[in-house]
Amino acid sequence: MNPVALSLRDVHKSFGDVDIINGVDLDLIAGERHALIGPNGAGKSTLFHLISGQLSLTRGTIYLGDQRISGLTPERVNRLGLARSFQITNVFPKLSVFENLRLAVMRQHNLQYVFWRGIEGQHAVREETEALLEQLHLMARAGTLATELSYSEQRALEIGVVLASHPQVILLDEPMAGMSREESAYAVDLIRKVTHGKTLLIVEHDMDVVFELSDRISVLVYGRIVATGTPAEIRANAEVKEAYLGEEVA
Amino acid sequence: MNRRFLLVGLLVVIALVAAPLVMSQSLINAGIQMLIASLFACAFSLLCGQAGMLSFGHSAFFGAGAFATVHAMDAMGGAGLLPTPFMPLVGAVTGLLVGLVAGWFATKRTGVYFAMITLAIGELLYALAPHLSGWFGGEAGLSTMRMPAFGLSFADNVQVYYLTLAWVLLCLGLLYLFMRTPLGRVALGLRENTHRMRFFGYNVHVASTLVFAISTMFSGVAGALQAINIESANYVIFNLDLSAQVLLNSYIGGVTYFLGPAVGAALMSFFGYVVSDLTTSWLLYQGLLFVLVMLFMPRGIAGLVHAVAQALRRCGFARLWRAFALYLGATALLVAGTTFLVELLQRLFSQDYRALSQIGGNAWPDIPLFGASWAPLSVLTWLLPVLLLTAGIWLLARAARHWRRALALAAPDDDSPATTGGGRLVSGASS
Repeated sequence: MNPVALSLRDVHKSFGDVDIINGVDLDLIAGERHALIGPNGAGKSTLFHLISGQLSLTRGTIYLGDQRISGLTPERVNRLGLARSFQITNVFPKLSVFENLRLAVMRQHNLQYVFWRGIEGQHAVREETEALLEQLHLMARAGTLATELSYSEQRALEIGVVLASHPQVILLDEPMAGMSREESAYAVDLIRKVTHGKTLLIVEHDMDVVFELSDRISVLVYGRIVATGTPAEIRANAEVKEAYLGEEVA
Repeated sequence: MNRRFLLVGLLVVIALVAAPLVMSQSLINAGIQMLIASLFACAFSLLCGQAGMLSFGHSAFFGAGAFATVHAMDAMGGAGLLPTPFMPLVGAVTGLLVGLVAGWFATKRTGVYFAMITLAIGELLYALAPHLSGWFGGEAGLSTMRMPAFGLSFADNVQVYYLTLAWVLLCLGLLYLFMRTPLGRVALGLRENTHRMRFFGYNVHVASTLVFAISTMFSGVAGALQAINIESANYVIFNLDLSAQVLLNSYIGGVTYFLGPAVGAALMSFFGYVVSDLTTSWLLYQGLLFVLVMLFMPRGIAGLVHAVAQALRRCGFARLWRAFALYLGATALLVAGTTFLVELLQRLFSQDYRALSQIGGNAWPDIPLFGASWAPLSVLTWLLPVLLLTAGIWLLARAARHWRRALALAAPDDDSPATTGGGRLVSGASS
């Protein structure tokens, strides 16, 4: 069996008196595509914020491989090989698509503080950025400002800037939200391709996508994981059905 | 496009080099002030326009550069630490070091809090400086002398002009190149989305501090040039006025364009030079100008030039000249109306006028203005500015209609305006 890529142990998060995450234990096996599902308000996004360092834990630990990442800043977590996307596109609106990707690529080449060399001379950065544009099918839009992209193009860019940091573990927060059928199918294809050989944790509401894409699924309900298993196991799980049905009744 | 830009740049440089040959002494002095203000505005805008950090205390770094330079010029018993032409290096080093320390604290916060910290740093220096007479010379300030170097006496202001010009051009070139380095691109990222930069693995605090220090380094050079020019430095240099002035200049010029702030600062300095001799209300005019620019062309003069160039490319001059003429006419009428009104009111409410009315026994004596006498109680006196302003607004509306119609008639090519041409000036949009 493959080693564990990301591991959460007894993770708690409360805002004031309200417990949002209530003792989550989760292991991501290296190389798997793992989906996190659950009704609205279950705490999926909060969990992403905790893993990526945007929020600090109330209790518990998070390991990336054998490195403890709980308590680290987002930039440290990123440099250790974990990158995330955002539910609402969170890029650089007034910069071109090329510039958006280049900013993400540049960091990986340790050029962030360089002011004695031109950016245009960095051929490795340019080539890598262009390869990403190619991969995302955004080559024709390289010079367009991010804010002028269509919705699904913006979502593709959002995934692209995540990939640029060569993460071993990728967290995607609802990458297909608001997409049409065709766009969504294309995005599934893209995600499958770009996450090959990497570990993926994805939050998604489209169940077709979830069951098609993931190797394993975890169900988060009220800050607790109630089930983890293969798509078939989850489909058959009574507790999961109840969680979703209960949500609809309430 | 690029070639045309270079050509214009070259012509401007030639004009700047040739200027002292035809200018009077006082104009040369004004020219030096314009150059220094331009450099300061560009240094400020690197932080404010490119990296999105609005500093309210940039006079601190300008002043630090100026005082350090005065000390360096006085060092070695008046012989100077460096030959006079290299003195701005002292300002650069001082600006850099002070900026690294101040920037480290200020960039711990963003937005309003960042602005407040810079404001506090500026005010702190302003309050402290008069008490540290060893460093800042107390209320009297410090004075010094330019020493001859390399066969140049630096005794007349033409030589100072060329020294200033050389340093300003060098620094503007370096600032331009800086935006094309990785850290320069990081500055844009900081402006656009600091939050996301962290998730790219950037240490935004270190990056912000560096950008801050580079901005203050060039501000320090501007301060040094000022010290060399006026051969003195006084603590009032730390006053909030200067911090506010550089901000206004930059926004009037167009803070996100590379040369916008330089143009804004040069024009406003020149405006001050000309208008402050003509009227006591010149600060009011400057404030009015700023408010109007912010209201109607928030991207400043450079943004206006950019928009006009784009419209010309899309529609051609033939379709637009009518709108241009109407805009010019409207501007002339509005300027005339406003000036008349402001000057009339300023005279009416002045102490001199009150004295005159008491002495003469006439409660409302005529007001001499623009070579004529105006009776304050006559309807005609007030009708004139009202008519001018009304006509100006009417023309403005017509001009806007012409403009819109011309743009609508032009073939609506779907090329997005931000990516086609003109991008050379827009550091943000070029990739």
